[in-house]
Amino acid sequence: MQSLNCPSCGAALPVRDPGLPYSTCAYCQTLVRREAGKLESVGTVAALPADVSPIQIGTTIAREGMAATVVGRVRWGWSDGSWNEWFLRAADGRQLWLGEAMGMYMLTSEYSAVLEIPAIQNFAEGNPMARDCTVKAAGKWLTASDIKEAGCLGSEGDLPFPTLPGRTMTNVDFRNAAGDALSVQRDADGTTAWLGVWTDLAGLKPGNLRQIEGWTMPRALA
Amino acid sequence: MTGARAVTCPSCGGSIEIRAAGYTVTLGCRYCGSLLDVANEDVRLITAYRRAAKNFAIAPGARGTLFDVEWEVIGALRRRSGSAIWQEFLLFNPYSGYRWLVASDGEWQFGTMLLDRPEDDGLAVSWRGRSFALEDDAEIETTTVIGEFYWRTARGDKVQGATFANGREQLSRETTADEVTWTQLIPITAEWVSEAFKVEQRHMPRPPRPDLTEGFRKAPGMAEDDLGKMFLVALASLGLILMAQVFLSGPRVCSDGRATIEVGAATSTHRIGTLEVRRPWQLVTIAVDSDSFTNRWVDLDYSLVNRRTQQSIDAYGIVEYYTGTDSDGPWSEGEHHAETLIARVPRGTYDVFVDAGSHGWPTDPPPGSIDPANPWGPGETVALWFRSCTGGFSWGMFWLMAALLFSVPGLILWWRHRD
Repeated sequence: MQSLNCPSCGAALPVRDPGLPYSTCAYCQTLVRREAGKLESVGTVAALPADVSPIQIGTTIAREGMAATVVGRVRWGWSDGSWNEWFLRAADGRQLWLGEAMGMYMLTSEYSAVLEIPAIQNFAEGNPMARDCTVKAAGKWLTASDIKEAGCLGSEGDLPFPTLPGRTMTNVDFRNAAGDALSVQRDADGTTAWLGVWTDLAGLKPGNLRQIEGWTMPRALA
Repeated sequence: MTGARAVTCPSCGGSIEIRAAGYTVTLGCRYCGSLLDVANEDVRLITAYRRAAKNFAIAPGARGTLFDVEWEVIGALRRRSGSAIWQEFLLFNPYSGYRWLVASDGEWQFGTMLLDRPEDDGLAVSWRGRSFALEDDAEIETTTVIGEFYWRTARGDKVQGATFANGREQLSRETTADEVTWTQLIPITAEWVSEAFKVEQRHMPRPPRPDLTEGFRKAPGMAEDDLGKMFLVALASLGLILMAQVFLSGPRVCSDGRATIEVGAATSTHRIGTLEVRRPWQLVTIAVDSDSFTNRWVDLDYSLVNRRTQQSIDAYGIVEYYTGTDSDGPWSEGEHHAETLIARVPRGTYDVFVDAGSHGWPTDPPPGSIDPANPWGPGETVALWFRSCTGGFSWGMFWLMAALLFSVPGLILWWRHRD
């Protein structure tokens, strides 16, 4: 792994995914932009609140023949809670998001085709999304079930966008009876759409999980 | 990195470890029961309470292994629907997520939230190729909240809860304004739960009463709380009726008279008094006492004749007394006293007449037979003393009202306690 040094504190700044422009220094919370071999400090990220997520940077997953590794995390907060979104780089180069909620996981990869759907176009233009709005993605019908205004609470690792305090986004989760998931996120940079599935941790065939103090990792996951 | 996050209860100052840090949103302080918002770094007091409910079948914080996974009971809810009360325990393992243990009716269920949702088709749902029939659909209220939860919850929270069953397996659907949650519930033996956790049997929700009573108690308006009120209302109504009856009965004016009639003779007419009814309507009571005959009866046809209009109001009375001996020994029946109540006598002055005829049982004495008490008299006679009074208290009406008023709550009370 290539390694750089934090321009702010000088600590080692591992490059987990050279294709990603932003990295958070694990020691001083400085957000570093890497561009054309240059390192630039763009601000300070809030320290991540303690949590008991079993995922950590370096955790691997394998699903449907695709292997991926966690390279970064952003934590979002909304009026009634907060959640983690882990960013993964797949072996085939694809980018994945792994959202954590209620002890369950939503694994998605980018699916831009739904941005052509008028209801989502309308949302992308800044209009509110109607709950119960139903869209078709990759042959599956999904219904908007969860709409949240969220603010960035902190980050770690390598990420595709800056995670400074004050960054906000609107997230719409679509789901269906089969357990499919579509996440549409709108922020200052535009709107992106991510399609995938809901699963439990075992369904991700995870490796290199975090050892949580006071808990024994189930043998099936260790 | 430690898994737990320690917070201080802003209400009682108690130190609480948040077990599912990062997920937990609401915390019910285990010392004082106060509800805390722990979604963010700063702990915010939602509602202060002074006492934490401790009487749960499993104490929050307990750990145990079920289905090869170690779980910590991180939250406990007491909930109710109608008269059913049960307890729900939120289980957590950071690697396996959340599960539920539900204790109701002396039985246990293990619950898993569903990611793939059942398809609704009216009164049944289908899930993973199997059909589940609607069993129950009612409002559920959360009454006690202790420990930590990954959603906003509070005492008094209400959701619409539907249960669908296939054999002993159930699917539970809870609907709030914001979302619909499906949970699969499978039965789990009490022994199994007891092996995993320390279960306080005395805090288990009580087993239900028989189904019939359960249904009866659940019927609208038949909630347990209503019964005492029903009795109070009946008692108050009866008190009002008593006062009204006493008020309506007066004033009381009486007139006495007497008559002597011959046994076996034709009926004879006697004027036995004069009454003045001063209110628009009044009750009139005619009481009669006789001398002590045996095996005789006296038919009494009363007439209240209005002096002005000569219209008559008629009523009937009887005095009878019999004695004898049969296989059970000597017996007697009847009495030498009778009262006749005449309702709704209009204002006016009345002469009271009686047509009286006396007969013997089983047959009249032969004509000309000698009365041993009065061998020179005109034959056997019965003496009658009458007292006619305006006003009168209808005990029959009073007791009928009492029976009607108390019949419904009494029936419910009997229904509940007959087992």
